[in-house]
Amino acid sequence: MSVTTQHTTPTELMVYRVVFALLIINKAGGLIYTRTFAPGLQKLDSNDYLILAGTFHGIHAISRSINPAPPVPPAPGNRRPPTTGIESMESSHFRLTCFQSPTGVKFLLFTSPEQPNTDVIVRRCYEVYGDFVMKNPFYSLEMPVRVEKFDRALGAYLARP
Amino acid sequence: MSVFSFYIFDRHTECIYSKRFAASNNAPPPRGAAGGGIQNGDVPASLRKASKDLDETKLIFGTIFSLRRMARQLGGADDQFLSYRTGEYKLHYFETPTQLKLVMLTSPNVGNMRTVLHQIWATLFVEYVVKSPLAPAEHTGGKGVANELFEGGLERFMEAVFRPQQ
Repeated sequence: MSVTTQHTTPTELMVYRVVFALLIINKAGGLIYTRTFAPGLQKLDSNDYLILAGTFHGIHAISRSINPAPPVPPAPGNRRPPTTGIESMESSHFRLTCFQSPTGVKFLLFTSPEQPNTDVIVRRCYEVYGDFVMKNPFYSLEMPVRVEKFDRALGAYLARP
Repeated sequence: MSVFSFYIFDRHTECIYSKRFAASNNAPPPRGAAGGGIQNGDVPASLRKASKDLDETKLIFGTIFSLRRMARQLGGADDQFLSYRTGEYKLHYFETPTQLKLVMLTSPNVGNMRTVLHQIWATLFVEYVVKSPLAPAEHTGGKGVANELFEGGLERFMEAVFRPQQ
């Protein structure tokens, strides 16, 4: 069964579920890694991605403060769990999954809306990041990620052959 | 499965209707504020509350405006921002061709509310607000939106959608 989306030529065979791109944002809101794996999103230049990352960082913070839910009483002896920001965003052409690590690094994963288990995928990206970027002794924290092994491992996991 | 609040923004980026719904197990009754305006100007507590509500509507509008722009940038000019979810709530967005924006905040386990928002617009807003002969064409400050028919209809509709067990 051949399935086509609006972003590819009709003669191409494409499966519905696809990962479009991964962005990594550091604690301060600066973009430190961007990579597209499959066509499907509009072509943006590096400046646009930087602006997008900064905007999303701000929106993520605001989404925590407009939380309308009544605060849930914490378990006795524990602190109240902190409010979370945007975890996923739906639009008609893509779904954005955001995972924030305990150190404040955000992983934005852009997938097609039908892609299942996006939280598992983004956690695996976090593991790959921990293994190849954090454990790299030459990587400076909060700086753009330029680690070849990370690129290769991520490509092996996410890029469709 | 519960709804927390509901907002309507017009094409002049103003909040023309906002409504908070009580949590099902709490005492405080639901409050509706038309246009987020100040109701009792003299009492400090309600002044603070009203300005807090106003800030919240502004934050919500800023959030949906930026997310809509982001969706257009990434998905193309015909892409529509639909909803987003955090750990505590889910925000549903529906925009009409007249650039009227309906925003609903619910608990995170709720499914797609797009048809619900469309129905609210078509059967409640258009019927009771747009077609009302007394309502002005532009609802600056929320004037003309919070009439009884619309409010009552909205309450009944929300009850029917979120508490169907009877």
